[in-house]
Amino acid sequence: MTVTIDDERLSETFAALANSTRRAILDRLSAGEATVNELAEPFEMTLPAVSKHIKVLERAGLVVRGHRAQYRPCALDAARLEEVSTWAEQYRPVWEARFDRMDGYLMQLRRKRKDRRTR
Amino acid sequence: MTDKQDAVVIERTLDAPVDLVWQMWTVPEHFQAWYGPDGASIPVAKMDVRVGGKRLVCMEMSSPEGAMQMWFTGEYREVVENKRLVYTESMSDQNGNVASASDMGMPEGHPTTTEVRVELEDLDGRTKMVMTHAGIPADSPGAAGWAMAFDKLAAHVATSGRR
Repeated sequence: MTVTIDDERLSETFAALANSTRRAILDRLSAGEATVNELAEPFEMTLPAVSKHIKVLERAGLVVRGHRAQYRPCALDAARLEEVSTWAEQYRPVWEARFDRMDGYLMQLRRKRKDRRTR
Repeated sequence: MTDKQDAVVIERTLDAPVDLVWQMWTVPEHFQAWYGPDGASIPVAKMDVRVGGKRLVCMEMSSPEGAMQMWFTGEYREVVENKRLVYTESMSDQNGNVASASDMGMPEGHPTTTEVRVELEDLDGRTKMVMTHAGIPADSPGAAGWAMAFDKLAAHVATSGRR
């Protein structure tokens, strides 16, 4: 897989997935579309609480909502999930960004040391 | 150990002596300065850097629901100063209790531990660093990486979502 994923988008998806309720919602949607009411059923949660989770998933591009019916069924957007499916490829940009920061931090440290010496 | 595809391998040459690069990984103050993804901070980094020693790292990032903390724990498997550092990593709670597959909403028995291996080589004052981040199969000691949970979920979705 050669999809490049930018760091910010990736953290957004990670944040969305780092919650067991939201993963359970995705799991349920993998069986087919469902209304917010249906999605709320297995959880001891209020509808607004479940709606909030769905909004997070929507923003992360993991879930899409229909426009046709008034109850706007939720459906999984598998493309987004597939994009981050190979975990090694999810992690690569995270590590690359980390090492860029390490590089910058090392330079900072060196500059500080030099300053001390010249003072 | 795992398929090549299941590991990230990154090689960098850093313009810093090998002992300083070692400290980037083993001294909390330094580690905290670079480790967090953009927009995240590392408020906690506890490191008992010796074979069998534990680590506990907290990553804090802003999310639509406010600040979100993620905790990671693990154990050092190889510690060869200025040369090689190997540790495991699993998602956990703030006390370092590994989040089991089922806690994460995943079926039992699937891997949630990953392994990070850092190899350093002194290049006359500069340092070659090779980092390998790999998944650990469920049946190996330690077992369990939330990253792999995504993999599983995505695979599940890819197969069942297209019915």
